[in-house]
Amino acid sequence: MDIKGYIQSGIIEQYVLGLTSAEESAEFEQLRAQYPELNDAVLNFEKQLEEYALINAIQPPLQVRSTLEKELFNNSTTEKTSIKASTPVYNINTWRYVAAACIILLIISTALNFYFYSGYKNSKDQFEALLSQQNTLQANNASYKQSLQMMEDTSMMHVEMKSVPGKEKNLATVLWDKSSKDVYLYINNMQPTPQGKQYQLWAIVDGKPVDAGMISDCVGLCKMKKIDHAEAFAVTLEKEGGSATPTMNEMYVMGKI
Amino acid sequence: MPQSSSYTENELVQLLKQRTQAAFSYLYEHYSGALYSIILSIIQDKELANDTLQEVFIKIWRQIEQYDPQKGRLFTWMVNISRNASIDILRSKGYNAQKQNRELTESVYTAAGTINIETDKIGLRKVVDNLKDDFKVLIDLAYFQGYTQDEISKTLNIPLGTVKTRLRSALTALREFIKK
Repeated sequence: MDIKGYIQSGIIEQYVLGLTSAEESAEFEQLRAQYPELNDAVLNFEKQLEEYALINAIQPPLQVRSTLEKELFNNSTTEKTSIKASTPVYNINTWRYVAAACIILLIISTALNFYFYSGYKNSKDQFEALLSQQNTLQANNASYKQSLQMMEDTSMMHVEMKSVPGKEKNLATVLWDKSSKDVYLYINNMQPTPQGKQYQLWAIVDGKPVDAGMISDCVGLCKMKKIDHAEAFAVTLEKEGGSATPTMNEMYVMGKI
Repeated sequence: MPQSSSYTENELVQLLKQRTQAAFSYLYEHYSGALYSIILSIIQDKELANDTLQEVFIKIWRQIEQYDPQKGRLFTWMVNISRNASIDILRSKGYNAQKQNRELTESVYTAAGTINIETDKIGLRKVVDNLKDDFKVLIDLAYFQGYTQDEISKTLNIPLGTVKTRLRSALTALREFIKK
């Protein structure tokens, strides 16, 4: 290392005057411990600086000394006045820290608010979903209960409609209240309907098919149209909304009374 | 201990640690003027400079245990306390800082050193005034206003490396004037 060049670079003056950055100081102090000539150069400049400052001294007003002596050697007033003297500096620093702390706390609090709010919203959404699910289940349960009661009701006539040839494995049951003439349909097992199609129930009255209503997705028993009297019931696959007359080759199940 | 004669630095530090009034008197009589001139070179307002000098002596008195002879002379330590206290006080008062910045920036952009930075020709300011404008601005920002080299680089829009070498050249030049 060119220690002479380093000494003459201005680093000595910079260090002594307190103008080095933390890294520069650390580096300098390390080199100083290694090179005695660096240490000598420091002492040399320090002495020069001191001499210069002493020659160019300016006498402060007398009251500064008397105030100081009062503060430092008059125990009763020492603490109070010294605090007063340094208050402005510390005050502002303190408030700076307090302000910084407040801002940080505010940011944390805002972040937590968002976090908790989204958590709350999730829970609320889930709760509402569960609530509506429960309502549906309760309604379904009521329908099933009602269906079950009707099925067990002996005054109800059961007409089992079996698959016609070519449409095997389909089965549906008509429950017919003879006194009120109400007709209910229970789907035991029917093929799912293709897009745009719907099953339609027909009552065969005096050899002629009479529309007994469209079969939509119902829970348990589907309530159909009232039928006064009939010899048979049948289900055909029709266009959505139903047809006036059944499409015979699309008949799925049929049951005679 | 002899009262009138001059102490070595070591002796003075020992006496200061014992907090004797004689130590204070000696310290004040020998160094208050030199430190006051350092403070005045940073703070032009005399009232504020008086308060600062008071604060500096209180700090020296209370913090003498923190002085490390390994790092430098007692006087250097006291000078640094004075400079830091002065800059802190100026900053805490927001004292003239904007005005000084503006003047400095203007002087940087004015050609061929026609503008002088306003000073009271006190203490170190006196020697700094002898330097060329480039150097004057750097030392003013670094020493008298306490800007870090990083801050100077940003304020003057000069690369940090240039600030570092130029500041050192300025300080070397400054030293030549101190010697005289």
